[in-house]
Amino acid sequence: MFLCLGVSVMAFVLTTVVPGDPAVANLGDRASSDPTAVRLYREHFGLDKPLPVQYFVYLGNLLHGDLGESEQSRRAVRIDLAEYIPATAELAITSMVLALLLGVTLGVIAALRRNRLTDQVIRVVSLGGMSTPQFWLALVALYVFFYKLNWVPGAGRLDAIVLPPPHVTGLFSIDALAAGQLDVFLNTVQHLILPACVLAAFNMGLFTRFTRSAVLEVLENDYVRTARAKGLPEVTVVFRHVLRAASPPIVTVVGLAFGNVMTGTVLVENIFSWPGIGQYSYRSATGLDLTAIVGVMLFVAIVYILVNMVVDILYAVIDPRVGLA
Amino acid sequence: MSSVTVLRQPVASAWRRIPGAWRQPLTVVGLVVVAAWLLVALLAPWLAPHDPLAQGSNLYQAPSATHLLGTDELGRDVFSRVLWGARISIPLAMLLVVLAFLIGGTLGGLAGYLGGWVDELVMRGADFVFAVPTILLAMAVVAALGPGLFHAVLAVVLVSWPGHARVVRGLVRTIMQSEYVAVGRLLGSPTHRALAVDVLPNIAGPVSVLAALETGNAILLLSALSFLGLGARPPDPEWGSMVSTGAQHFEAWWIGVFPGIAIVSIVLAFNFLGDSLRDAFDPKTIIKARGA
Amino acid sequence: MTPLLSVRDLHVWLDTARGPLSIVDGVSFDVGEGQVFGLAGESGSGKTITALALLGLLPAGARTGGVAIMAGRDLLAMRTSERRRTRGREIAMVFQDPTSSLHPMLTIERQLTEHLRYQLGLSGKEAHLRAVALLTEVRMPDPEAAMRGYPHQFSGGMRQRIQIAIGLACEPRLLIADEPTTALDVTVQAGILRLLRRLCKEKNLAVILITHDLGVLSALADSITVMYAGRVAESGPTSQVMGHARHPYTRGLIDALPHPEAPDRVLIPIAGDPASPESRPSGCAFHPRCRYSRPSCQIAIPPLIPIDDGREMACPVDPFMASVAR
Repeated sequence: MFLCLGVSVMAFVLTTVVPGDPAVANLGDRASSDPTAVRLYREHFGLDKPLPVQYFVYLGNLLHGDLGESEQSRRAVRIDLAEYIPATAELAITSMVLALLLGVTLGVIAALRRNRLTDQVIRVVSLGGMSTPQFWLALVALYVFFYKLNWVPGAGRLDAIVLPPPHVTGLFSIDALAAGQLDVFLNTVQHLILPACVLAAFNMGLFTRFTRSAVLEVLENDYVRTARAKGLPEVTVVFRHVLRAASPPIVTVVGLAFGNVMTGTVLVENIFSWPGIGQYSYRSATGLDLTAIVGVMLFVAIVYILVNMVVDILYAVIDPRVGLA
Repeated sequence: MSSVTVLRQPVASAWRRIPGAWRQPLTVVGLVVVAAWLLVALLAPWLAPHDPLAQGSNLYQAPSATHLLGTDELGRDVFSRVLWGARISIPLAMLLVVLAFLIGGTLGGLAGYLGGWVDELVMRGADFVFAVPTILLAMAVVAALGPGLFHAVLAVVLVSWPGHARVVRGLVRTIMQSEYVAVGRLLGSPTHRALAVDVLPNIAGPVSVLAALETGNAILLLSALSFLGLGARPPDPEWGSMVSTGAQHFEAWWIGVFPGIAIVSIVLAFNFLGDSLRDAFDPKTIIKARGA
Repeated sequence: MTPLLSVRDLHVWLDTARGPLSIVDGVSFDVGEGQVFGLAGESGSGKTITALALLGLLPAGARTGGVAIMAGRDLLAMRTSERRRTRGREIAMVFQDPTSSLHPMLTIERQLTEHLRYQLGLSGKEAHLRAVALLTEVRMPDPEAAMRGYPHQFSGGMRQRIQIAIGLACEPRLLIADEPTTALDVTVQAGILRLLRRLCKEKNLAVILITHDLGVLSALADSITVMYAGRVAESGPTSQVMGHARHPYTRGLIDALPHPEAPDRVLIPIAGDPASPESRPSGCAFHPRCRYSRPSCQIAIPPLIPIDDGREMACPVDPFMASVAR
């Protein structure tokens, strides 16, 4: 709650120090030639009122779930967001799952092969994932797999000739499966795979490093020796006993890594023409559309808070010693 | 006095483990690459075969003997531009890490030392910055102040101070709560003396790790903002904006690929350094403080 | 009758940066079926490493030598898969600290039944019933409720009973208990020891009881081996070793024990610190701390020689004789 208020104040303060005049930015040449248009524009968006009034009007609207009206699309930001969120959600969730599967697996292997060659190779791969600019990786991936090899389709969520599946969740892959449209599902996956992989690279590295250190710490514990003394196979020891105990720190990072995904989507969505909130926020930033940016920031902050609430609940589920407060 | 030795021992042994970190081949690789790039940044005017801004008649020329990494859409030498790019990204990244540490360190130190509402305020502020993805906040700042490299630097400072604040606050608090500071207080030795004697030397380790990792991150974020057209502006030979140019000329892959490789190499080198230093020091404080 | 386990000339080396370090140096002993065998010594004497070697649970970088024959097979020469089948089913181990030795995030049921299901192939229901029976056997109050609990909800003594139940689950023939009472309150210790004794009798279970506390062994063990710095100092039937200790080190341990019948007796600690594997003295490792040390003790490692009354001892000086002469 505090965070939301903080974001709204912060975002609002930003608008007050904008040297660029949004009216000029959005009306273009008309602004200089047509003063009435500027006045009407300002009245329409409440820009003529004193700043504190603007803020309280804004805050009041927020409480009703009203994020204001975008100065670019001339639509309610909430409606804009509703349109763009499913695309980003599909991309972000897919990349998160990929990063988690790969990162945890590599991290476990690195820990079990500590300081051997495998560990070093994994160290280079994971740090490489965290060191590669996502915009560059996206371009290289597009160049190789689309431009040269033509293995995957280029931009967008679907081929131009494929109609989106009937809207249920907005996630095309799930909607297509629900509607039994296998061809649409496959097309969605083809479009999804490359941006999702690019987006996963950074977090994969992060999860690998964290899993490795968490697993190494757990391996020191006496109960791992107990599990081995029972004659359990090493696979069971690692995946049931070690990974279970190592999961709280990993879950924490997953919560934090959400921020990385959002940073990545801004870049990746622009390059892959993915119609999500990353692209939307970029368009809004370049158009000095602060209402829209504030809307995105608020939404993202709320999701961040929700994600970390889920993390806290997961903590209590994983570790019986943690009581649910 | 035994509690003093007990508390100080881990720090001393962590410092002693640093030579071990140098035995790691990746640490050496990281150090060599960082040093090489620093040299390039210093010596670019003498190393670069061409003027990075000079346009030529040979447009879109593939890598060859005269143009090692080819030429771009205006006939400029990509190799020279990549070398000159080091003069932009590396000093800026270092400057902003210093700025972020000064701001974050001061706020974190005050928060840890004073506690109470100051602590609350600083930490909530840090939470807030963590809750909003870095690039979104940076984009908002740049959108508010207008595009430009300087504004981009300010934006990155704004999003990267909380990491430093958390590390410093954590250290200050650990030391203030330790038994031997309590003993010292009973003996009449003021707390701030303990802080001066113990926080400063203790801070060097974690901060050097954080600085290495953050310099890498700063280069990534700066180049990302420039890629989006919110940082460096053409014709500056900034790596991110060079990749952005390359994105518009797919057939001439060398325009965008080589600046990207430059970014990967320097960031990876900083991460190698940071990672092996982190192994040498207590790993947890830094990992937690870095967060997203 | 052949013993259940026969260890001969067991060696354990640990690879370090400065070359291999000898931790256990030629240890031999026998454990008979249904017997309690006591392995005594100070910390660092190599008793826990000896036990871990038998289970193949030594840390990475450790190598073994010698043989350990159990049911005609050499435990030290087994392949990984064979060794895994031995663990839990032939030999089980109970560790010192029941708090850290139980997984904090898994239910007792999970920890009690997972090897029942894996090793014995029991179904979920069968394993559950067997687990309840096991908890009853170790005198756990309300076994059904305990099954749903997590380790942190139990007291130290209860946790140790759970650990023993886990060890007994697959009906091993040998249970190694490493300082099973050290981490517990004195009042709880007796209960755990009684439990071990009873299990030993009822199930014909052999127990290797590792402890630094000779007092515990005197009440429980059939035979005792005393280790010092990775070597056997003295071994033999409990009555002999405890009643008429011949090795200066054993004597030292006994003199350091409080005696219930003579509470006013002055306890005599052993001077100096135990020898660590990194800086083991030459000759007899005990000589710097030994009251009876002679110059020759610094040079030659005394061999373990049988004495007529059925025990073995590694000391050329006979303190028993010496004290009589004094």
